[in-house]
Order: sequence, then C-alpha cells, then structure tokens
Amino acid sequence: MKVYQRCSPVSFSTRPLKTEIRDNWRVVLEYENEGSGPYLIDLSHLPKWDVQGKNLSEITFQERAIPENPGQSELGDGFLINRMNRTQASLWHLNGENPEIPNIPAFTDVTESGVLLALIGREVFSIAEKLTSLDFSDPEKEAPFLLQGPFSHIPCQVVLSDRETPALLWTCSRGYGRDMAESVLAAGEEWGIRPAGENVFTGWFQKLSD
Amino acid sequence: MNRLNRLPTLRVNPSEKLTFNYIGSSCQGVKGDTVATALYANDVRIFGRSLKYHRPRGLYSMDGECSNCCVEIDGIPNVRAETTLLRNGMNIRPQNVRKSPDTDIMGFMDKMDWAMPAGFYYRCMHKPAKLWPFFLKQIRKAAGLGRISPDFHMKGRYDEIYPNADVCVIGGGAAGMTAALTAAGQGLRVILLESRPWLGGFFDYRTAEYTPSQEGISRTLCERARELSEQLENAPNVRTFVHTAMIGAYSNNLITAFQTGNKSDAFDERYMEIRAKSVVVATGCIERPLLFDNNDRPGVMQVGCAHRLAQTYGLLPGENAVFSVGHDLGLEAVLDLYDMGVSVACVADVREDGQDPHLLEKLTERKIPFMRGWTAHTAHGSKTLEKVTLSTLSGAQHREFDCDTLVASAGLTPVTGPLTLAQAKLAYDNHTGFFLPEKLPEKMYAAGRMLGLQSPLSIETSGKLAGLSAAADCGTSLEHEIKQTREELRNLAGPVRGSKFVTAPVRGQKSFICFDEDTTVKNIDQAIQAGFDAPELIKRFTAAGTGPGQGGIPGHNLPLLVSQWHTDSGLAVQPTTVRPPLVPTYLATYAGAKHDMCKRTPAYESQKKAGGVMQRAGVWKRARRFSDDIRCQEEVENVRSNVGILDASTLGKFRIFGPDALRALERVYVGDMSKVSEAKIRYSAMCNEDGCLLDDGVVVRRGENDYYFTTSTGRAGQTVEWIRYHARYENWDFSIVNLTDAFGVINLAGPNARKVLEKLTDADVSNAAFPFAGYREFAIRDTIPVRVMRLGFVGELSFELHVPSSFMQTLWELIEDAGKPLGIRNFGLEAQNLLRMEKGHVIIGSESEQRTTLHDLGLGFLWYRDKPQAKTVGAVALRQTEHQEGRLKLIGFRMEDASSRSPKDGSVIVDSTIRGYVCSARHSFALNEPIGMALAEPQLADTDTRLEIFEDSGDDRLYAKVVPMPFYDPEGEKLRI
Repeated sequence: MKVYQRCSPVSFSTRPLKTEIRDNWRVVLEYENEGSGPYLIDLSHLPKWDVQGKNLSEITFQERAIPENPGQSELGDGFLINRMNRTQASLWHLNGENPEIPNIPAFTDVTESGVLLALIGREVFSIAEKLTSLDFSDPEKEAPFLLQGPFSHIPCQVVLSDRETPALLWTCSRGYGRDMAESVLAAGEEWGIRPAGENVFTGWFQKLSD
Repeated sequence: MNRLNRLPTLRVNPSEKLTFNYIGSSCQGVKGDTVATALYANDVRIFGRSLKYHRPRGLYSMDGECSNCCVEIDGIPNVRAETTLLRNGMNIRPQNVRKSPDTDIMGFMDKMDWAMPAGFYYRCMHKPAKLWPFFLKQIRKAAGLGRISPDFHMKGRYDEIYPNADVCVIGGGAAGMTAALTAAGQGLRVILLESRPWLGGFFDYRTAEYTPSQEGISRTLCERARELSEQLENAPNVRTFVHTAMIGAYSNNLITAFQTGNKSDAFDERYMEIRAKSVVVATGCIERPLLFDNNDRPGVMQVGCAHRLAQTYGLLPGENAVFSVGHDLGLEAVLDLYDMGVSVACVADVREDGQDPHLLEKLTERKIPFMRGWTAHTAHGSKTLEKVTLSTLSGAQHREFDCDTLVASAGLTPVTGPLTLAQAKLAYDNHTGFFLPEKLPEKMYAAGRMLGLQSPLSIETSGKLAGLSAAADCGTSLEHEIKQTREELRNLAGPVRGSKFVTAPVRGQKSFICFDEDTTVKNIDQAIQAGFDAPELIKRFTAAGTGPGQGGIPGHNLPLLVSQWHTDSGLAVQPTTVRPPLVPTYLATYAGAKHDMCKRTPAYESQKKAGGVMQRAGVWKRARRFSDDIRCQEEVENVRSNVGILDASTLGKFRIFGPDALRALERVYVGDMSKVSEAKIRYSAMCNEDGCLLDDGVVVRRGENDYYFTTSTGRAGQTVEWIRYHARYENWDFSIVNLTDAFGVINLAGPNARKVLEKLTDADVSNAAFPFAGYREFAIRDTIPVRVMRLGFVGELSFELHVPSSFMQTLWELIEDAGKPLGIRNFGLEAQNLLRMEKGHVIIGSESEQRTTLHDLGLGFLWYRDKPQAKTVGAVALRQTEHQEGRLKLIGFRMEDASSRSPKDGSVIVDSTIRGYVCSARHSFALNEPIGMALAEPQLADTDTRLEIFEDSGDDRLYAKVVPMPFYDPEGEKLRI
C-alpha cells in the first residue's frame, strides 16, 4: 500500500542513517555524525494537545491532573503537561505508543500547529541565552517548568525539563520551523551542536525516567 | 619608539609583535596595543583632520571620547583607534584627509572660520533657496568623517545574548568590583560590565600606594586591582564581561551593551540585553577638557591619556612635557612620567590650593617647577605642538615653554550616562563640581569615583554599600550590614573638592569645546549673542556634542560655560540630554546573528521548485508569481479557462467551542451567526467599534457549540485576543484555539477544478451533492483528511481544501499529478489579485483603510441588524454611518481608452481638489482592458462618471469612467457550475 507521507517543517542537511515510518511520518532515528552534544532534535511528529476550559482543575487525563499554577510542568507516563495560564494547558506526548486524544471538547489536537524541538546537552543554557531573554537559569525555579515568550524572536512555549542533564523542549508555530532550527544550529555552532535523531531523545528521556 | 617593558602595570606583551599596514607602509605593534597606541609607537602624531576646518588632530583621551582618532580599518570607516585592539594584518587609513594627514590640501579651511560662524548653515545658505543644493553638495564634499559605499558588505561575526542576573554592575573599577563581590557573596547572580579589555579602572595603571596605614602590608593600587580581579575570577556566580560598553538603560532595569570579541571568541562583536533585578553604576570619571587656544593641537593630551600611554602601553607621550592640571591625578602623572624619563618643564595647576601635600613634596624633591593658579593659555606649532604659553587664571601674566607634549586637564567629570538614561535627574554639586543625580532611580545605585570620592578605601566601601543595597533589592535581608557599611563610609574620606575652572583667559576663536564638530568657545558666544540661552538649544545651533563622541568632550564644559554667561539670570546649570547608544557601534552588531525569521507554508518547497518567486508578505514568505511575467497573464488565463492551484495556507484558521461560543461569534461578526450550519459556510465580516472593516472570513459549524472559522492572513495573529477582549466583561464559557499553522490550504480553482478533485477522492463532489457555499469533510485517497469549502474568491469554480499541514506537501503533489493531463499550473498572489479584482472582491487593506466602513464597500448587506442583544462590535457605528454624507465609496472603473495602461495603485482622483484614490488597478485579460477599484467621493460614484486620475510620477492625467461591478461574470454563474 502506498504511504502518503507526512512531512515535518524541519529538515536538516545531515544525512539520516536510520529512519522509520510511523503514522505516515518519516521519523529519523539517527543522523550521520551526531557528535557528542549538544544535540538539536526534531520531535514535530510527537502528539501535542491543547486543553482549554473554565475549570481546568476538573479535567484529568489518565488520572493525572493538570498542574495548578501557570508555569508549572509535570512529567509522567510519557507526557509532559504544562500549565500555560488560568484556562489553558498543553500536553506533549514524548514517549511510548501514541495515545488517542480524549473525546472531550476541551482537548484539541495541535500536533500539526507547531514544531516541537529538543535541545539537549550541557551547553543548553549558553545556547538558549543567545536566543532568548527567558531565564532558564533562575535557581528559584524547579525543573520541569514552562516559560512562554520569544525564543529566537518567535513566541514559544519552552520547557526546561531537567537541570542535571539539561534539556529544553519548545514549540512554536509550524511555519517558523525551518528558520527556528537554523537559528538554533547557528547559535550552538561554537559548541559543536549537531542535529540528532529521535534515539538520542529517547535515550535521554529514559535516563530521566530512571 | 622603544617600549618600557618592565612595568608592573603593563597590559601589552612587547615580545609578541603584530604587523599592520598604515597608508601603504608596513608597521609593527605588539599584542595588547590598541590601534591608536600602535600608531603612536610608530611615530604617528596626526591621526586625521577635523570635520570643518581640517585641523590636524591626534591622540587625546584614549577612551574614544572624540572623533580625533577615528580611522578607517579594513574598509570600515569611523573606527575608534583608541578602543580597537590591534590585530595582525589590519589595513589602516586616516579619515577626512586629502593627500595625507600631515599635508592635507584642505588645510586652508582653518583660515575660513570667519565665514563659518555658529549656525551658518541655518542662516546663510538658504537664500536664494535654489543655491542650497549646490552648497549642500560642496559642504558634504569638504566635510565629514569616513565614507562608505551603500553596497558595502560588512564582514565579521555578529552575535547577541540575553543574559539574566540579580545584580548588574556597570564599571569594573575598584568600586564596581567590590560591589560585584559583595552582591555575589550573598549568593546572587551577578553580571559585571567593563568597557576596557581588563578590570581595574583608575587603579589599574597606577603605582601609588593602596592603604598605607592599614593591614601593615604595602600594596600598589595596581596590585589591589589585580587582587580584586582575581577574586572575581574565582567567584562562581559572577560573570564578567570585559571590553563591553554599556549603551542603554530602559525600564525594569533592562541594560543593553555590546561586547568586542577577541581572537578566541566566536564573535567579533555581540549585542547584549541584560535583565537584572538591581543595578550598580560605578562608571567612574572621565577628564573635563581644559579650554585654551589650540587645545586640539596634536601633542596636547589629557592626563589619563599620557599616564596610561606610559603605564599601560609602555610608551612615553613625548620627551619634553608641560602639565596644566586641575586635580591630584595630574600631579601623580607628572611624578610617574618624570621618573620614567620625561623631562617636565613646568606644572601649572588651576587650583590655588587643595593639592595633596605629599605629591607637592615629591615635585619639590624632583625640582619640578610648580605654579599654582596658572593654566595653559595657548598651544603653538603649525601641525604638532612646539611650544606652550601659560598664564595666570586672570591672564595678567604669561610665560612660554618649549615642549612636544602638553598634558592638560581642567578636572574630572563623572560618567553619568547610565544614570541619566535610567531617568535620573542631574543637578550641579558645588563641592565636587560634578553633575550628580538628585535622586537615583529605583533599584539603581551609584558608587565610586563618580561620587567625587578619591580615597581608595572610600571608593571600595561605597562599592560595598552599593553591592549590599542591590542585594537587598533582590530579597536578601541586609539592613544591619547596610547600616554598618554606611557608617564605615561616613568615617572615611568623603568627596573631594573639584576644580570649577573651564576656560583660559582667551578670546576663544581657536579654543575647541567640541572636537567632533569643530565648535569653539567663540561659537558658543555667538550662539548666546543670537539669543540661545539654554545648553540644549546651543548644542543644536552649534552642533557641539552631536558628533561621534556623543558629547564626551563638551558634555560637562558646555553647561558650565553657558552658566558663566547667565550668572544673573537664575537659570539652573543643566547638562544636555544623553541618549542611547552611549557608545556608538556597528548596525551589524544590532542586527545580530539571525534577524529575519519568517514563516513558510507547508507547500513552500513545491512552489519554489515550480519556479515560484517567493516574497515576504507580512510574517510569511509567499509565491508572488511563477514566471518572469509580472502581469502573470498565463497564470490568470489558465484559471479562467482551465484549472490552477494556489497556496492559501496563510489564512487564519480557528476552532472556537464551548457553551458560549456562538455568543462570542455573534459579538464579533456582523452577520447572523445563529444561522451557521454544518454543511454550509457562512461568509461574514468583523468591524471595529467605528464600524470599519477589520476582517472577513467564513464560519462553519462542526459540532454542537463547536465552530471552525477563517480570517484574513493579516488578522490571524490578533484574532484570539480580539475575541477575548470583546468578551472580557462577560462570564462566558468558550475557548479558542489558533489552528492557522495546523492546516495548509489549497485553492483549486477553474472550470476544470472538479475534474481534478474527482480523481483523488471517492466523495461526491458534483454540484448537486456539493454546491456553491457548501462544506464537506472527506478523505483524499482514503488517507488524507480534508475539510473542503466551495468558495469563489477568484470568480471560478473553486474548492478550498484545508489539509493537516504535515500532509500538505503530499496532497499538493497529488493534485499536481492529477491535474497534469489537464495542464494544471500554479498561480500566485499577483494572479489572485487580478482574478478577484475582476470579480469585484475586496482585499482588506487594498480596498479599505482605517476609515472604511462596511457600507462604504457596499458590504452593508452582511450586517444583521436584528441582534441587538449580541452587542455586536461596530453595530452602533454602522447604524450611524449608514447614510452619513461625504463618505468615500468603493467604485469600479474602466479606462476611457481601452488601449491605455492602468493607473498605479494609490494614484489620486482629482478635479480642482483630491476626490478619492485608486485602490487597485490592473489590465484585465478577461476583458482585455485596464480596470480598477477606487474609493471616491459619493458624487463620483454614479455609473459613467468621468474620473481624472493623477499619478505622482508625471503631469499627464489618465481618464476613466465609473462602471458597475463585478467586471467579470456579474451573475456569478461560473461559481455555481
């Protein structure tokens, strides 16, 4: 059967070494010469949902509640849940089998709306500092946490997942995907940033879960 | 020139040579040299020529406070030689010289000062007005600094960073370093900015003793500076940025700066935006120039310049020097330079008393003549300094001394730019002679020498106090420590009395208050005589302080000089306003690394491959056309007669849902939204409170209380806020999700559009099953889900397919393949523009502007007036303007002569006055004549009215006549096939 391919807004000039077709997406698992970090990983194929409602505290998903305060994030069961404001949250499914979106009006599938990128490595803070004034180094904030604002001049939702093995995950309008990836690669050039496949992210995620 | 290479204060490495080129000659400098010191070491004394009079100019301040040392480096003009570090292979050229700096053929201009009094360009050369362009050209040819070609390509690596900190300290002298260490000691994140390539400030180059009576250990100021610097290096939470000039201060303690990189950095210059909770300003002082005749002659330099030239760079400023000083740092410099081998003929001090007795003793020990109450009066020498006349302050007595160097300074003046940018108001302090802030801005502190302090311990303690105060602003409880430190400071030496002397007793014809603009004391006098009484006005009339030095040289002297003329008027002495950037830098630095972020549609690559001319339209890059033909004839005709595809992905797309979603739609849309059904689209418009058209689009219902709607491209970004804003006082329960990027949109248009679509889906897309204005959801090739609307913006059978963005590229290619046998082709924005115009469809922003109501455009039928409970935005204004007289109306027109060209968009419709303007006009291929739409006065709206059109490019008029719209397919039959 012919596969009608789904395309990510991001494409790297590096040659993919391992790929797989998943839900019509051609997912790159590994790129040539990925180096030893920092890594930029395109995760645009991962499901992203928007949740909105007057009473977000009454909405649960897989028995998980949405964090109470704007800016709080929670990681668990492969999901990253970010409280954006009084009436809105976002859910990113980062690991495991793709789940069905709950049949509740409050949920909207926004996978197609945005690019989702991950930046992993010790130099995350230095690279991010070249792209945004959002303060990820604030010692008073406990990871994971969400900051919303300009990242490379574009409005984004950015989550710092962990301080020990730092990783930033962020999403912005899909149309900016190409320029966003280019600007991050340019910003990280002095630290040898390389595009990496999903396997690097999965490895990082599993380490974090352990 | 030999270097002094064993000094403890040295910042150059004489053993590491660097080679550079200066006007065709190969020269050598050493590592650590600035371009200015390297040139000085190669015996260059005249760096360039002045702006107006082409006077020779040389090294003066060492900190780039004037344009004297601006040179061209590697093709880049106006580079400050004093603050630019020398690199191997630099190609350096002087500026504003004809022939050479030593022999400038424009030097005769110096004799023409009588012809150029203050404000001569305002007063003389506009009568007769016809001559002004001639003079303008000649003046520009003769004057000016560097020159650059408009297509000059700026090489280099430019970057930007946006760091955050608890405390930002501006100034890396002793006070700044102490403040940084103190705040860091409280566990806070500290950023320290220093404009020089190293820390230390006034301590760095001095070998005077630090704390002789304390601790029992003798250290020099230089050693103390390096000790503090080392402590900072070891403080983990302090980030030190050297060679970083602060350029701006904005609300909420946003500090901007730029950093110059060195060889190992990944950037040549980088722009910085620092967000800090609290700020300490410890920027120290610069010298206040002494005004006397020929005070700009090469060989005349400031105290710090001569002192640092020797101590930091190992270069003696000259062999025979005379000093004319106004502060103890001047006396300290005399002793150091004398001990290094400079012959000092005489030291004049404008102060009658108040000198440090220890320094005076040392002068006596060395038998250096010292004259209290004397000043430099005139510098002599045709190109460089040869002799100096000193006089008493009253000018009663004169003495002459041969010399090659005159070290001159009237006193010190604080660098208050950062404070004034943060809106601190300055007032003259009679004790220090400084302009000091009356009240500091919130969460901003000043420390160090800029407060008039001179004692090293006082300077450091003031830094400590500022550091503690800044830390307290970040939430640390430090009341006790602050109180204790304030007490400590009170017990130390306070601010010293400053010299108030400004100008020697001269006529001032050749006493330059501003080197950049060649403004003399006499010019200031002329401005005052002309009635300008405030420094701010005099600055503009004489241009003093408006050059590249940003007022560094005249900044303090100008208000003092002016105040001398106004002793009886009661006018407060006020310095002129400073504005960012405090230090000029390249536009490339501001532009940073990646400055053009734009959106691409999911079919961008396909269109580019098909030869699309991609142009920026708002935030998007879109295909304007697909051939070299700017009229796009083939694209247009193919849609009219066959089938074309257009990427319309940039349209705004939204989901609105919830029990009150309909109420929200009723509030912002002028139509009756309760009629929106599941199988049919409803076209409607949004107006602002004035009834003016803001947006249009279609709405469909996809479920109970669940709607999908589109907006124009330009409004996509504001729509969510617009709806929320207009529902802000209602307790409505609805949510909106912006799906603009989630769906790509393909407009498949033309009489053969259905034939293409039928090849791709099993769904019934016949006119009967899917009529005009219908809405369907089905799958393409059983896989790709699409939301499809039957629309007719371009006036043909059209299917607008909304497809998940990730499938867009694939669907685009499927459509191209399916349409290939029919001759399908892309069409772009230009073709779409003509197609919709032929149909009389408006584009918001093209056929409307801020004042255009729905009625003006003939779209009043969209307004459903029987829903007052909805409080529709703009409804009141729509009612009021419905029959309002004198409003411009949208009209269609054809050119009288069908073979003539169409008028340019924006051309005005005239008779004896302006009666309207052309919105869009193009040659219609369907009608084979030019057509257009215009907004014109209602008297011109009747069919067959003759329109006279005036274009800004010529005197010829074009003539058209008003015709009914639409121009093409008025019955709309082609949409409904």
